[in-house]
Amino acid sequence: MTTIHEPESNSPPVELTVFSGPLDLLLHLIRKNEVSIYDIPIVSICAQYHAHLRAMQELDLDIAGDFLWMASWLLHLKSKMLLPSVDEGEEDPRDELVERLLAYRRIKELASYLHDSDIVRRCLWTPDLETKISSPAEPELDWEDVDLRLLAQTYLDVMQRFEASHPPPIEVLPLRYKVEEKMTDIYRRVVADGLVPLLRDLNSRSDPEEVVAVVVAVLELIRLRGVFAEQRKAFAEIYLRPGDRKLSTAEMLHHGENSG
Amino acid sequence: MDSETLTASIEAILLTAKGPVAVAALVEALDDKDVGAEQVETALASMVDAWDRPASGIRLEKVADGWRCVTPAALDSYLRSYHGIAARQRLSQAALEVLAIIAHRQPVTLPEINFIRGANSASVVRTLLERKLLRMAGRKKVVGKPFLYRTSKEFLIHFGLERPEDLPDPEELVRDETVSAD
Repeated sequence: MTTIHEPESNSPPVELTVFSGPLDLLLHLIRKNEVSIYDIPIVSICAQYHAHLRAMQELDLDIAGDFLWMASWLLHLKSKMLLPSVDEGEEDPRDELVERLLAYRRIKELASYLHDSDIVRRCLWTPDLETKISSPAEPELDWEDVDLRLLAQTYLDVMQRFEASHPPPIEVLPLRYKVEEKMTDIYRRVVADGLVPLLRDLNSRSDPEEVVAVVVAVLELIRLRGVFAEQRKAFAEIYLRPGDRKLSTAEMLHHGENSG
Repeated sequence: MDSETLTASIEAILLTAKGPVAVAALVEALDDKDVGAEQVETALASMVDAWDRPASGIRLEKVADGWRCVTPAALDSYLRSYHGIAARQRLSQAALEVLAIIAHRQPVTLPEINFIRGANSASVVRTLLERKLLRMAGRKKVVGKPFLYRTSKEFLIHFGLERPEDLPDPEELVRDETVSAD
């Protein structure tokens, strides 16, 4: 029997992670017990397998799934092995497991061959020509064909290429309109006039930046239920009228805080 | 072309080539009616011998159906020291197993790899694809149309193989181990 390791409180789950999968753990147990892969003592191996699983306090769910699946398969085999076989010609319930273990063992051998090969091969270096080899040969010019006009044209081409790859930076100007101010402004007008035509108001403003600020302010007022908006049909005038909540100036100035 | 020029030009091409160079490519580049595949092979064979001595820092090797220059493994520590590379990334046990499965049974799908390993291998496959040791090879015509994977040319170069079939037979590796264990 394997001893059950008590993992230290903060030690990483190393017990199972040293095995690349449940088949790897099974092969380890079979080798350790010096039993034949063709005649696995399922009861004892199953107990040891579960002992290993229990030794794990926590495990990555992805990995745990694979190990737990195998645990349930082993239990299933164990129950089958304990039952007396009904007829002689019945297949050994372990056959499929043996087949999979053999297939996995072949792969493990090949992996260990690749490992040894990798150890040596990783130490090989090859000429590094990344920096030395220039772009494919360009047609050469006869020195006599080069005149000032060609030189000027070349300069223009180079500059054009430079500008294409270096577009002018986008200038970000400070905001000139504050949504909070527009909110207070519009809310005051809605309360005073009772009805404010929004589209006419927007059309009267020439600065698109201001229009954006007003639209956002109106949406914010609607959200706070300080203002209601009405439109009779598509593209018709949108009228703003007082909503069912009274908004304080402070609420409008700090509207961003509760909108998340 | 005399044999000295032949050897010198092959040497120069291999030293400046990106990746392994096929014999046919050498013949084409040398463009000489007296130089065929046979002459190039002979020259390469004598170069392999000439370079394989303790006082030489270059070796010639045949890999992935071509020839290339490499440094002997023993000089790795000096090269790493010069280039300021502490240690190379190692391939995990899981990565080696996935490579072994794909190399042995290609083309193969992820569900097939998972079944043989008995463990989920999706992230390992992804890492190996990123390291270019694997390549996609279409989809299998079964339910779900899973991707098929094959080993790449990089894989052959890294493991010093000429062809995927040059990998040893796992049955023999197992047999060898059983014999030596007894």
